[in-house]
Amino acid sequence: MSAPIHIPMVPSDPMEAWTARVNGAQFTELAHSHSILLDVLRDHVGTLGVKRGCDMGTCGCCAVLVDGEPVLSCLTLAFEVEGKEITTVEGLADGHHLHPIQQCFADHGGSQCGFCTPGFLVVSAALLDKEPDPSEAAIKEAIEGNLCRCTGYQQIVTSIQEAGEMLRNGLTGDDRTEAASDPHPVGPDEPTLPPGDAR
Amino acid sequence: MKTPPFRLHRPTTIDEAVTLAADLVKRKQGFDWVSGGTDLLANYKWHINTQPHVISLASIEELTRHDAHHIGAMVRLHELEHGPTHPLLRQAAGTIASTLIRRSATVGGNLCLDTRCFWYNQTEDWRRSIDWCHKCDCDTGADCRVIPNQNTLCVATYQGDLAPCLMVLDATIHLAGPEGVRSMSIADFYALDGMTRNVLKTGEFVTHVSTPEESNDLDGDYQKLSLRESWDFPEAGVAAAWKRTEAGLSTLRIATTACESIPRIHLEPAEAALVDWNGESTAIEIAEAIRREVKPVNNTYFPPAYRRKMLRVLTKRALKGTWM
Amino acid sequence: MSKGYRQAPGGSSDKKRKDGKRTAGKQDFGVPGSGGSNPYSELQDIERIPNSQGGQLEQPRGPHVHDPHITGQTIGKATPLVDSRWKVTGQAEYGDDIRLPNELVGRILRSPHHYARIVSIDTSEAEALPGVRAVSTGMDSVNRFGVLPVTKDEHAMAQDKVRHVGDLVACVAAESEEIAIEALNHIHVDYEVMESIHDMEDGLLDSENPIHDRGKYHIGESNVQKRVFQQFGHTDAMHDAPFQSKSDWTFAGLHHGFTEPHAVVAHWDPNGRLQLYTPQQVPHYVHRALSSVLDVPMHQINVIRTFVGGGFGGKSDPFPHEMCAAILAKKSGRPVRINFDREEVYWINRGRHPSRIQMEVYADEKGRIAGIETDALIDGGAFASFGHVTTYYNGVLHTSPYEIGGFHYTGARVWTNKPASGAMRGHGAVNSRCAVEVAIDDVCEQMGVDPMTFRLANLLPPHCRTITGFRITSTGMRECLDEVRKQSGWDDKFRKMPLGRGIGVGCGFFISGSGLPIHWDPENFPHATVHLQCDMDGGVTVHTGAADIGQGSDTAVAQSVSEVLALPLDMIRIRSRESDTAPVDLGSYSSRVTFMNCNAAIRAAIELREKVLNAAWEIIGYHPDSLVLGDRRIYYKRDPAIGVSWLQAVHKAQADTGSLIASGAYRTPPMGGVHKGAAAGLAPAYSFSAYVAEVEVDPETGFVRVIKAWAAHDCGKALNPLAVEGQIIGSCHMGMGQVLSEEMRYGRTGHLLNPDLLDYKIMSVHEMPEVVPIIVESNDPEGPFGAKEAGEGPLLPILPAVVNAIYDAVGVRVNELPVSPDRLYSTIEKQCRKMGIKDPLDLPNPSFEPSALQADLENRAKEHAHRDLQRDLLKDRSSYVNGVLFGFDPDRPLPEQSEGWRESVTPTPEDLADPKKRAARAWSHVERRKRRDDA
Repeated sequence: MSAPIHIPMVPSDPMEAWTARVNGAQFTELAHSHSILLDVLRDHVGTLGVKRGCDMGTCGCCAVLVDGEPVLSCLTLAFEVEGKEITTVEGLADGHHLHPIQQCFADHGGSQCGFCTPGFLVVSAALLDKEPDPSEAAIKEAIEGNLCRCTGYQQIVTSIQEAGEMLRNGLTGDDRTEAASDPHPVGPDEPTLPPGDAR
Repeated sequence: MKTPPFRLHRPTTIDEAVTLAADLVKRKQGFDWVSGGTDLLANYKWHINTQPHVISLASIEELTRHDAHHIGAMVRLHELEHGPTHPLLRQAAGTIASTLIRRSATVGGNLCLDTRCFWYNQTEDWRRSIDWCHKCDCDTGADCRVIPNQNTLCVATYQGDLAPCLMVLDATIHLAGPEGVRSMSIADFYALDGMTRNVLKTGEFVTHVSTPEESNDLDGDYQKLSLRESWDFPEAGVAAAWKRTEAGLSTLRIATTACESIPRIHLEPAEAALVDWNGESTAIEIAEAIRREVKPVNNTYFPPAYRRKMLRVLTKRALKGTWM
Repeated sequence: MSKGYRQAPGGSSDKKRKDGKRTAGKQDFGVPGSGGSNPYSELQDIERIPNSQGGQLEQPRGPHVHDPHITGQTIGKATPLVDSRWKVTGQAEYGDDIRLPNELVGRILRSPHHYARIVSIDTSEAEALPGVRAVSTGMDSVNRFGVLPVTKDEHAMAQDKVRHVGDLVACVAAESEEIAIEALNHIHVDYEVMESIHDMEDGLLDSENPIHDRGKYHIGESNVQKRVFQQFGHTDAMHDAPFQSKSDWTFAGLHHGFTEPHAVVAHWDPNGRLQLYTPQQVPHYVHRALSSVLDVPMHQINVIRTFVGGGFGGKSDPFPHEMCAAILAKKSGRPVRINFDREEVYWINRGRHPSRIQMEVYADEKGRIAGIETDALIDGGAFASFGHVTTYYNGVLHTSPYEIGGFHYTGARVWTNKPASGAMRGHGAVNSRCAVEVAIDDVCEQMGVDPMTFRLANLLPPHCRTITGFRITSTGMRECLDEVRKQSGWDDKFRKMPLGRGIGVGCGFFISGSGLPIHWDPENFPHATVHLQCDMDGGVTVHTGAADIGQGSDTAVAQSVSEVLALPLDMIRIRSRESDTAPVDLGSYSSRVTFMNCNAAIRAAIELREKVLNAAWEIIGYHPDSLVLGDRRIYYKRDPAIGVSWLQAVHKAQADTGSLIASGAYRTPPMGGVHKGAAAGLAPAYSFSAYVAEVEVDPETGFVRVIKAWAAHDCGKALNPLAVEGQIIGSCHMGMGQVLSEEMRYGRTGHLLNPDLLDYKIMSVHEMPEVVPIIVESNDPEGPFGAKEAGEGPLLPILPAVVNAIYDAVGVRVNELPVSPDRLYSTIEKQCRKMGIKDPLDLPNPSFEPSALQADLENRAKEHAHRDLQRDLLKDRSSYVNGVLFGFDPDRPLPEQSEGWRESVTPTPEDLADPKKRAARAWSHVERRKRRDDA
């Protein structure tokens, strides 16, 4: 029997101010010198759309954009990206208008359980930003670091292609806060009754 | 998962980094270097050989220089893949892990990649269940679980992809440390066993690698054995570079990785083969010789016997360009 | 409106706008979204109305009972999941996203030993640590639980012993995760290590310390948890058949590999009610288990299902960490959140059982399947979980789609000191299905028959009974095979491609909902219940307990209601999250949700529809039979101009009671045999599928690459083709993982070597081939609008299709999964040695010479195709039981017609005589209570 080891988890140095722009807003949070970006985003900034899947860089659920480039937030030290511009899945939509990539993942089956979706979305958005008409090989290379267990990737690749199409045509995603049906429909308030009906 | 607490230092020049390191050495404080973090932070989350200080090289501008024959330690693998260096390096870089990892991971980090082992790359809880591993939990007096009843040597496997390619291009690696700077052939950088890994002294780090002008004349190939095209470390890798002239093959270098604790350049079989080069049949002979030279152990995904046999196939395929 | 006390909302009504639009402030209730954009309605789109209802929609398989309720609204249209916008905006809250104010973080102390007795636990040091708010051990919770009432063998935390590395020992709640981890290091546990067992065959032996003690029901002194014996048909005669395939398979254990690790949040609210947030497939079982573990009545617990980041069976047990969170929250008085590290996900496991299966398939001189003999030993790990059922499923789920002369099955599940196996997509059916389908390929090779033809000539027809008495209703098996044969270009490729390139076929058969609810008699309570509530706004709220785990059950139920009521999907709201508001539902397992829950929803919607139509009758004077539900408007069938808006009719219906509610339930019809275990595998309908896979094999390295897969699945009716295709492709991905790369790998010391996503090899986008999903609609007579399952069955055929394709490519049969490159390479090496070949590139390519039987079987397949269509179209519904192909009269009991025909679930000594059969050995033990009787 070997001697047991004990790697102490506490105490750590006092927290320091960490500052970054997340989805366009300036955040200053207290974080440890050793804090991981994923933890700061989830536990302090509150962008819970950034998911913790494997926490080891394989699944890609935690991907965010740092200055527009996809990065695994689970393997990034928070202080290494201090002062940078961070985009999470929450920052993709323009108000209630979904980003085309969001719209297409929803419409074409790119998302089933949805847990890996935020990672796929930011990675794909970054790809389409640089290359609005990517080849299938380029799409596969871009998402090779993201793991999806539900879809078998096929509908994800389709979603990305469709989103590229939307972007190239200058379309944006729809805004569901607009009424889906006419709120003030034309026509009579009263029922239309059969001719000669006594009521 | 949480890493144990550590203090992150972010020097902005090589000198500052060296001074910081020297100071920590003097104060007898343990520390690690971090560049991209994809290797180190994963290990830290599993509480593997954690240190109270971590010095980041990420803010040192000088380390990001990247041109045809100079690759700074902080050059990201993604940049290397799309950069101006020898095609062999770009090819190998493109096979490493996944695009997402490559965006963070660096050349320096890949060269200094920690060696890997099924009994080592596990969580603290897991290692407790095997009564610890002697590569990381040194003070426990634990035994090696791969080859039991010996606790001196570590047989963890080096699974970097770039090193063998730099070896066959005859690259030079440049280090900086409290005792100054030094350079050496990349083949001399790797040393001993899975724990020692390389010749870096405490406080010393890789600043860059350089490739000779002559490497422009070399063709090369890198063949990698891995179950998936994404994520996986090589289970065996063969890099080859050669110079083909009208007169025939004039230079030939072959190096292997992911089979032992350090990557290895196979000078003798290559030189011997050049004497009477006869295309495919000679390649098969070299392949066989290389298979005999390496001795993988059972600590990565594929069984060692298979990895050795595949070295033969990989070598043959890597050399295909010499006759086709 | 002239009564003085009534005041029309919005003031007087005489200032009418000239443009026809309503004046602001003049609407009564909730006009927005309720009146439809066109108040005058078109005539019904008769292209979407089935033939049987006078429309033009073709029904090649005949009419369906739900035809009158097809309104053309959503059924059969590709429909984005109703919750997809939550997912793509990052607003979907999964387990770890539930952050309650004042929360604590919980962590679990796990066993470092495979098997050990706990001598003592000292938590005092941990409790004293600043920031620690509660520490709990097994002492705090002594009640047992388990997903199946017959095998409750789990506790919140270990009682007297730990049973696998990672078994729960204690737990801590603290102000931060760091403090909680630190505290675990300060809990001191003394263990007395016991001898552990890791090889499943050792589980068959008597042990000094069986992993569990089942009291008087214990089987010998062994670690056999469950054993099954079933023998039907000519089980003796089949051994004389001229064509025999015998193989011994090893299947590695598998994990579901969902991306979301388990997480749970427990909170005792100020009223003392437990609010438990958990990503669960089966919230109702957790609800029950919490009640019995915590000794709290069920009405004091509210189980809230969060979004589920993938389940696949792995989130369908009630879990000990859910109990731990509740216990810690109670002790600390604060909400407690526990989120698993990836490694812990593997400790709790419940993945596919590691199995050893001996498969024998016999075929007679007429090209019929004379019999199947299967012996399946499955490794259950440390707990029972769903294992009781899995043991049956490994046998009974391969009694179809083929007509067979005999069926002999011995199955056993043993406890070992590993993380527990459980239910995973294709529960219990996947491994033995792979073995059967590969064996069929083998007998076809022996008899010189194309495996496509052989299958087509041996299919059970629609509306029949299988050899063990399952009631098959619809089957699209034949069409699936025809489609993949055609689309893959099978006839030009089979045995005709160069070395290294191969094509293979495999079929699948799966239950569409388990016929027996686990916790009650189906005669007593229905399987599923759905409530509908329609308020003054005209929208319909659906209350259901079905758990959407990403498969789209919320969408399917919304579609069902939307279809019947002809309302757009945005007017249907699903409330399926909370046990407080949802009627009891058994959750998402056994592929039951679409079939059972949608059937219940349709019934509820029909009830609501009747109420609204009756109200419309009162308004416009036409009988409901002549009324049509259109887009938010109800109108006269022959003159769409005459009608009333949905909202007006709804208000009329609500006028007396102030409410408009409806409820629907689904229960299975009586079915199945009476023998012990007859209920296992019973389902109200079954799905069928056939896949063809084309592969490329590198003979020098053993690497297999699937190039393309044609995947035909009979889901009855695709309610949502987008989701069905997603399920088919996703199933292919998961199945290909099992056949080529995924395994839970245990080292020589019994430790799980790859509890992480880097070394547990799930395929990346690069390994994934193009999958051509082919939807076959057999129009199940009892399914909702004809639908059956599409979530699990599609996984089965890809495994044998790939294995058979590997044979076509390089001429070697593998019988160990996954076919990782090293395994295939060593098989190729062996083959080379056997044939005296030096270079694997010189291996001979398998070829195909049709025998005389080929033409016979082609004819039989043709006749059967005609037979099946007649039965489908109700032109011939004479009774059909498995055995007719062998000359039996379906209307008389089979044992009466032939002396050798057996129907037995108790083995005789002769049945167990073969010493090589593994599971059969489980029957050598005598159950304790029976021993006592003997004494």
